[in-house]
Amino acid sequence: MDPGGKKGTMTPQAQNPSPRPERGHKSSKHKKRKRKNKKGDMEELKKEVVMDDHKLTLEELSAKYSVDLTKGHSPQKAKEILIRDGPNTLTPPPTTPEWIKFCKQLFGGFSLLLWTGAGLCFIAYGIQKYFHEDAMKDNLYLGIVLSVVVIITGCFSYYQEAKSSKIMESFKNMVPQQALVIRGGEKMQINVEDVVLGDLVEVKGGDRIPADLRLISAQGCKVDNSSLTGESEPQSRFPDFTHENPLETRNICFFSTNCVEGTARGIVIATGDDTVMGRIATLTSGLTVGKTPIAAEIEHFIHLITAVAIFLGVTFFGLSLILGYGWLEAVIFLIGIIVANVPEGLLATVTVCLTLTAKRMARKNCLVKNLEAVETLGSTSTICSDKTGTLTQNRMTVAHLWFDRTVYEADTSEDQTGRIFAKGSDTWFILARIAGLCNRADFKANQETLPVPKRATTGDASESALLKFIEQMYSPVSEMREKNPKVAEIPFNSTNKYQMSIHLREGSSQTHMLLMKGAPERILQFCSTFLLNGKEYPLDDEMKEAFQNAYLELGGLGERVLGFCFLNLPSSFSKGFQFNTDEINFPMDNLCFVGLISMIDPPRAAVADAVSKCRSAGIKVIMVTGDHPITAKAIAGVGIISEGSETVEDVAARLRIPVSQVDARAVKAIVVHGSELKDLNSEQLDQILKNHSEIVFARTSPQQKLIIVEGCQRLGAIVAVTGDGVNDSPALKKADIGIAMGITGSDVSKQAADMILLDDNFASIVTGVEEGRLIFDNLKKSIAYTLTSNIPEITPFLMFIVLGIPLPLGTITILCIDLGTDMLPAISLAYESAESDIMKRLPRNAQTDNLVNHRLIGMAYGQIGMIQALAGFFTYFVILAENGFKPIDLLGIRLEWEDRYLNNLEDSYGQQWTYEQRKVLEFTCQTAFFVSIVIVQWADLIICKTRRNSIFQQGMKNKILIFGILEETLLATFLSYTPGMDVALRMYPLKIMWWLCAAPYSVLIFVYDETRRYIIRQRPGGWLERETYY
Amino acid sequence: MRRQLRSRRAPAFPYGYRYRLDDQDEVNQNYLADEEEEAEEEARVMVVPELEEEEEEEEKEEVEEEEKEEEEGQGQPTGNAWWRKLQILNEYLWDPERRMSLARTGQSWSLILVIYFFFYASLAAVITLCMYTLFLTISPYMPTFTERVKPPGVMIRPFAHSLNFNFNVSEPDTWQHYVISLNGFLQGYNDSLQEEMNVDCPPGQYFIQDGNEDEDKKACQFKRSFLKNCSGLEDPTFGYSTGQPCILLKMNRIVGFRPELGDPVKVSCKVQRGDENDIRSINYYPESASFDLRYYPYYGKLTHVNYTSPLVAMHFTDVVKNQAVPVQCQLKGKGIINDVINDRFVGRVIFTLNIET
Repeated sequence: MDPGGKKGTMTPQAQNPSPRPERGHKSSKHKKRKRKNKKGDMEELKKEVVMDDHKLTLEELSAKYSVDLTKGHSPQKAKEILIRDGPNTLTPPPTTPEWIKFCKQLFGGFSLLLWTGAGLCFIAYGIQKYFHEDAMKDNLYLGIVLSVVVIITGCFSYYQEAKSSKIMESFKNMVPQQALVIRGGEKMQINVEDVVLGDLVEVKGGDRIPADLRLISAQGCKVDNSSLTGESEPQSRFPDFTHENPLETRNICFFSTNCVEGTARGIVIATGDDTVMGRIATLTSGLTVGKTPIAAEIEHFIHLITAVAIFLGVTFFGLSLILGYGWLEAVIFLIGIIVANVPEGLLATVTVCLTLTAKRMARKNCLVKNLEAVETLGSTSTICSDKTGTLTQNRMTVAHLWFDRTVYEADTSEDQTGRIFAKGSDTWFILARIAGLCNRADFKANQETLPVPKRATTGDASESALLKFIEQMYSPVSEMREKNPKVAEIPFNSTNKYQMSIHLREGSSQTHMLLMKGAPERILQFCSTFLLNGKEYPLDDEMKEAFQNAYLELGGLGERVLGFCFLNLPSSFSKGFQFNTDEINFPMDNLCFVGLISMIDPPRAAVADAVSKCRSAGIKVIMVTGDHPITAKAIAGVGIISEGSETVEDVAARLRIPVSQVDARAVKAIVVHGSELKDLNSEQLDQILKNHSEIVFARTSPQQKLIIVEGCQRLGAIVAVTGDGVNDSPALKKADIGIAMGITGSDVSKQAADMILLDDNFASIVTGVEEGRLIFDNLKKSIAYTLTSNIPEITPFLMFIVLGIPLPLGTITILCIDLGTDMLPAISLAYESAESDIMKRLPRNAQTDNLVNHRLIGMAYGQIGMIQALAGFFTYFVILAENGFKPIDLLGIRLEWEDRYLNNLEDSYGQQWTYEQRKVLEFTCQTAFFVSIVIVQWADLIICKTRRNSIFQQGMKNKILIFGILEETLLATFLSYTPGMDVALRMYPLKIMWWLCAAPYSVLIFVYDETRRYIIRQRPGGWLERETYY
Repeated sequence: MRRQLRSRRAPAFPYGYRYRLDDQDEVNQNYLADEEEEAEEEARVMVVPELEEEEEEEEKEEVEEEEKEEEEGQGQPTGNAWWRKLQILNEYLWDPERRMSLARTGQSWSLILVIYFFFYASLAAVITLCMYTLFLTISPYMPTFTERVKPPGVMIRPFAHSLNFNFNVSEPDTWQHYVISLNGFLQGYNDSLQEEMNVDCPPGQYFIQDGNEDEDKKACQFKRSFLKNCSGLEDPTFGYSTGQPCILLKMNRIVGFRPELGDPVKVSCKVQRGDENDIRSINYYPESASFDLRYYPYYGKLTHVNYTSPLVAMHFTDVVKNQAVPVQCQLKGKGIINDVINDRFVGRVIFTLNIET
């Protein structure tokens, strides 16, 4: 392993019984280069776990921790160590205080734009106030409204996220764990937090391991390491050193894994954050997370909109100076134009759209912790999936049987209906009995109502699998056990590799039968005959070869194979005979071989479909698992390695050539072993990720998972990681979107993830991808819709400056549009259904396929917006002309119009207007301009529904959208006709004719865009598409 | 690593110009993928964009550079980053290699400009057409709606952008501009001019001129001499030199406006706030203090060319001196509104007199 790592972690431990003071020393040494040091720490954490406690003999161990291996620490000493090292808990990840979270919502991304706008407004107001006594309060109001909008939206999204984190909280169950320690020779129950280094700890089946333990004695101890390594099978634990790698060796138990059965006694070799689990947790919380794609898109959008705003502002600043306005006025105009470009309602719209999708996803069992992550899944181009629990059911199930020289397939789907196989054979009866009787697993009580596969069991996973299988396929096991009571047994252990039990025979309850199961090669050694269709035959070479083939075949499928055999004991061992299992006083050879049963943790039913959907959606699915390559490859058969493709090894085997001669670049699939991965540098990893489309990483450590994710991200992919164990959490955190499992997932993984699959179903991810892609498309539409009305909002001010006409659209009316009428229609676009099968499309390219691009701006600002502006201006001119001011006379009227003391301004007919009369007329025009925008926005909304299809193809099925149109119309009517609005908002009632002025433009927009989309459909890839398809 | 990648990439194509490389194809591909059976094939290609290969080496170099810089010190990288950004921006503005400016070639620019030119030209045509139809529906003689300009507003002369009349009788400089303003205003009312241009129509009744809309209409005379003491004929200082200022009141013109029920609109002034006795006497000219009916209706600027707005002169003959006196002059008559809260010039006018001696 890495020499640097060794130096850092191992040597101090060897030199000094307690690693802590050494660590402190180290950090002080490097204090000057703290930043670098921190970086170094992270790098170190990414390296493999290094420890040597498993290699030490018990004496060395005792010396190292200066502890008596029978009596343990004295309570006094334990207290000292506790004070020195601190409690045995994981430091919780530095939780961001609530107010910082709130501030992030308040000042993040889009809000910043609005804050800038508000700030500019206040500045403008300040300038005006300073130079004129009776400054227009418009800028002040606008500034206030902008701030209020940001604050309200901030509160809203904060509330949304707080709500989903509350759901998160409910997952946690904070039951204080207890541990049994021996101190001063006495056993005592203490809280897990109080366990200290060197403590002598006893664990038994069902316990959670309280700290990292080096075993000194064990009886049939098995631990479930799945949350740490991802291995689904419980592993036996005993005091012997078996492997260099501390994660593989059998004499170490890890903090927070579970002891499944047996008992063990061990010395605590690490506590709290120093444990392997603690290191992973620290690594996880130390990772910095990149921006979400949508945040990057919003930033890009802000750049675009700022560029447009500043361009317009500066242009008209220059223009107003040329036109002879004063410096001060020009600056006010500059600020006004920049602020007018801020789409006030967009922040709220985007937030609401994302929230709606998040809710929709939650209904489909995807709980999104972070709103922005909603879209990330849609941009995902690579999914790194954990195997156990995500792709598989995390439940051993009987997959195949081999008896009568035939392989039978069992049903492994989640709701096992029970497929019929050769149940008629006598061999099956005997096999079923052995499996049911020579089995220590049992159902837990009070589960009769549950279907068999769902019932909880005690005992080993493969025994449980057999139990359930027999219960379902043969007959209730409890009855069977009642009829054939167990007289003696030898439990399974890893040296014997078999399990034997002796039962009374049914019916003739005088004789016994000896039943045995175990590793197939071991079982065969005991046998001299075999069973074929219920009859015994001597075991010949032909049969042995058949056995070998079957064993290899099933093993090759990644399944765990067990052999079964039996012997009817002669009558000399009749009822009452005392069987002694220690000194075997009964025959245990010349048994009769019955068959093989193989088990696997089968893939979930929906996974194959989901994976193929991901593939057709252009998403690369990579399996990353801590399990063995063969098992991994077998499960990868669900589509991660597609049927036709072969790995290098497969090709080599098929062509009968050495592996080294196969051109690795030519094969699509590859299975990479963790030990190979360790030796790869990042370029080689990149090569693997680039050259192979179907990749399985097996036997990976948490750190390697992280490296794989980083590799994918280096290649520009947006990476989703699914996982449930602690071992996945660093990768979950580092991924663009981490997806944790809601049911089986560990707390650490849920904390690190951005999204939680409440039903643990990989297929939900596909739904998530679909929703994510849909919301990206729909956000485009929403933004296109909202931005379009920006032009009819800005141009009046520009014309006011350049042409000197009365202001056609005031601040209040602009706000009425942005925060009133435009809001619901824009949100309703989030409900729009997809235009084509979005799951047959490639994921968007995060570099080039932006949320808002120049084409969208061009369409919204350059084309549709311009038509809308014309509609508004037309209405404006109609009203002024009908009231006496013809357009030509309006040019340059601004100064006189705004003169409070000029109360006899002449119009085109020679009539004279007081200031207030003119203003009422002006505000009537502004109301009409507002109404015109509403009317042209009808058409805009309908054209924004689709980006390529015709509305006649898409239909008007979106009820929310229709409601949105109604709502904006009613709101406009309300604002215009409600008595008192003239005082409150300065909006005035309009004549019916004035509503209709904009209608032709509405039709024009509709026809124009339908034509545009028709041409795009007719000429895919043509100029029009390149320039206007957003 | 990822952060570095981003920071390098992002400024490389600022503001959405990232598409310049091959994004158009990309977009199409994205959309067409569902039609292509090799979607899966492409899926793999996607993860590895074509440019990746060539960029990779650069990237590595850069990473190394950055690391070196980090070791050297903190100050330099930021300066360099800015410089790099500037270069990228410069290249964006004009890329000599590809002969592109703002991510477009000259050809592309001219095409899009031409298209937009035609687009806007047709929009211009549309609005022209609309405006044309608008003018077809609008009469040049009579505005379509007059309710916004009714009821009539009131204006006073002399007008000097202020409604405070502050002057010192003994200092002609303080009131001279009022006199000049009034004189100028009354030039159009000179008797000779009025007699020459306008007709002397019978008082006490509307001067209704039927006939075609487009016929020129005659206007009634309003002679300066009607204003007697305030005409400036006898007293060229309009009373300002004696502390008895004349103020002329004029009602805003409204096409087709007629005082209702044949009662002429009257003017009456009083102290707005404070002691009513601050103004002890006002003389009105014409003595009726009203706008005679013969000046109505008004037929509009186009045909009623010489229309002369009738005036009422208020001669404040006895006002308290050396203090500000707020005066409110109201129009009175059927159909006249003089108490609109928002508009202090509809049917009334408020000004202050502060005559110092």
